[in-house]
Amino acid sequence: MKKYLVSLLSIGALSAEMVFDTKLIELKVGVDEQTVTAEFPFEIKGEDAVIKNYDAPCSCLKAKIYPLNNDRSTKLEWKVGDAGKVIGKFNLGNFKGTVDKAIVLNFHGKQEPSKLTVRVSIPELFKIEPPTQQWNLGGGLESKTYKITVNHSEPIHILEDSGTSENFPYVIKRIRDGWEYEVVVTPTQDKTPAMGMIRFHTDSKSKRFQRSQIFAVMRTPRPAAAKTSP
Amino acid sequence: MNRLLISVCALMALSGIAALITWGVVGSPDRSVSCLEEALAEHHLCLETIREWPSETVLWVDARKRESWEKGGVAGSVLVNEHEDWGDMAAEFATAVFGDGEGKERVVVYCDKAGCDSSKVVADRLREEMSRDFGFEVFVLHGGIKALEQEGKENG
Repeated sequence: MKKYLVSLLSIGALSAEMVFDTKLIELKVGVDEQTVTAEFPFEIKGEDAVIKNYDAPCSCLKAKIYPLNNDRSTKLEWKVGDAGKVIGKFNLGNFKGTVDKAIVLNFHGKQEPSKLTVRVSIPELFKIEPPTQQWNLGGGLESKTYKITVNHSEPIHILEDSGTSENFPYVIKRIRDGWEYEVVVTPTQDKTPAMGMIRFHTDSKSKRFQRSQIFAVMRTPRPAAAKTSP
Repeated sequence: MNRLLISVCALMALSGIAALITWGVVGSPDRSVSCLEEALAEHHLCLETIREWPSETVLWVDARKRESWEKGGVAGSVLVNEHEDWGDMAAEFATAVFGDGEGKERVVVYCDKAGCDSSKVVADRLREEMSRDFGFEVFVLHGGIKALEQEGKENG
């Protein structure tokens, strides 16, 4: 009974002291990698830690805490001196550039959750700048240029291209074939709204850069909407 | 020792009775998605604010997996997530947001729940690549689909 009572009274006093080596891991990944794994080693210091729950809010990241219990279930109660690691498996999907993903651990007896961040940088081998351009209705038919740059050790060639709108004819200039292109778009009219897309198929070995697109928009200029006004 | 044990039990019993009385008087606990806009990150909004906008000005974007969207996405929403071909989804999105030329002024991205960062990733990319030239603003719905489901329950 005494043991039970002590346990009962001590639950409220439990405070998580899961100390991580780092809470931010930055990863630069290869262009063809589809998944990356980040490990966050930790040690229990000061007081025992009881994990209430843990979550990887993004469905593309799976989090596990090791070591597991003997029955392969997740170990939630940790004693001072225990050590382990939180492992996040990150599915890169269609990401590009730099993206942050987080694993969140909540503890009994502790207000603030521990947030572990995985910062993934995915190189943009085939970079289009800007990806979208806009013309104003009645504003003239000036040509606008999209620049394509290959940031890779090997060239990436445009094999095919296609446009979806006759309102936006285009010319592809091969500045340095495989390395640098310019796409010059000149609208045919500025009387009615129009939207077009130009698609490129490349010979990139990376699936992520085999298809790209740019957009062209002819529309009425619109002031930015105020976020709180109905 | 016995006296201490009796005291603890008595306190627990009293707490339980008090909780029952409170439940009886006030009702069941509020499980709605709490939202205090001032405390939210930039570009994150409460559903209440979004509902103040004319619905025809808003395009909903579902950042969850396709099966979730097909099963219970917002009516008229477009699927743009981190998992499928960006070009295909961007084309669908562009058509929807441009419409007949007047276009949507606001795009609201949602995923599963508060803290779900898929919607932020998608919103950031739409903002970076398309929003300025298409002429829309991009926001993230705090609470995600859970906030919408809660609203549905409240409205019967």
